Amino acid sequence: MHLASLLIVLLGLLTSLTARAAGEPIGYVKTASGEAFVVTAQASTPAQPGVPVYLGSRLKTGPQGSIGVTFKDETVVACGPDTELTIDEYLYQPSQGNLALVTNLLRGSLNYVSGVIAKLKPDAVSVKTPTGTIGIRGTHFVARVEPEAKP
Amino acid sequence: MIQRKLILPAALVILLGACASPPKPDSYAALLENPDGSTGRIVVRGSKGEQLIDQARSGAPLDGSQPAAPVSAEKLQRDFGAALAARPPLPERFLLYFDSGGVVLTAESAALLPKIIDSVTRRPGVDVSIIGHTDTLGKAEANAILALKRAQAIADLLKEKGLRAAALSIESHGESNLLVRTPDETPEPRNRRVEISIR
Repeated sequence: MHLASLLIVLLGLLTSLTARAAGEPIGYVKTASGEAFVVTAQASTPAQPGVPVYLGSRLKTGPQGSIGVTFKDETVVACGPDTELTIDEYLYQPSQGNLALVTNLLRGSLNYVSGVIAKLKPDAVSVKTPTGTIGIRGTHFVARVEPEAKP
Repeated sequence: MIQRKLILPAALVILLGACASPPKPDSYAALLENPDGSTGRIVVRGSKGEQLIDQARSGAPLDGSQPAAPVSAEKLQRDFGAALAARPPLPERFLLYFDSGGVVLTAESAALLPKIIDSVTRRPGVDVSIIGHTDTLGKAEANAILALKRAQAIADLLKEKGLRAAALSIESHGESNLLVRTPDETPEPRNRRVEISIR
């Protein structure tokens, strides 16, 4: 049992050493309080204004935490406590028409103000959740995913 | 006969039981007014259906099982108070215009520079994009270079005036991203611009 967990820790370390951040930052942390982290390529960084967010990053907060991020296309997202949000797709090349923003709200609460991508190509913007998908037509909304009750 | 009499009450008990069972996990989306006062639309698509939400402070379950219904201010505050409080300041965008052919700002645009510095200074962890554009007069390749020169000139000017950003990107869209659509070889002052996005 101990050996197994040690192995997992070692594997985790190895992956974080070999994994690379996915290209250029797509946004930056602007607000943070309590336990709030940006997890990129298995490496967890305590959130504070200026911390970069990449394609594939995960925003994660604890019971008292919150985090706010603004993306390059001016999309603004904020998460309340006990929240996990991953950024699964991000494409922002307006002059080539390459646009996409797909996030995944695994649990917790989200406040979302859509930006330029939703304005130019609404069909390319969505928020996935465990039970359904939210399609966005240029707007301000909130979403909440409550963890399944434990039996 | 006895059996038949028993079936109905049993069915009733099951039905009532289903109605009284604890509510499903409270996972939902709700629409809010846009920062500019307008209201947009969202669509929730789940395994149990698809629901359009087009009224502010109205919400629907994420599985799409029920149509949109009003959500009380108290519930929104309870569920989203922390997320709403954590929302970063909304980004601001400025457009600066140039005299034809060069990197000299129009007088009106030059007067905007202090406002830009002020907006940058007020934001935590601020990042800024400066994107140069031209009109369609001249060759596309030459315009790509001119647009970059414009963006760089503005970046230098802002740095001189005290711009400090966690990240600054300087880009050129040349003549490929017109604000006002025109045919090729058309001088258009509104297309000779630099866009500054402050986030």
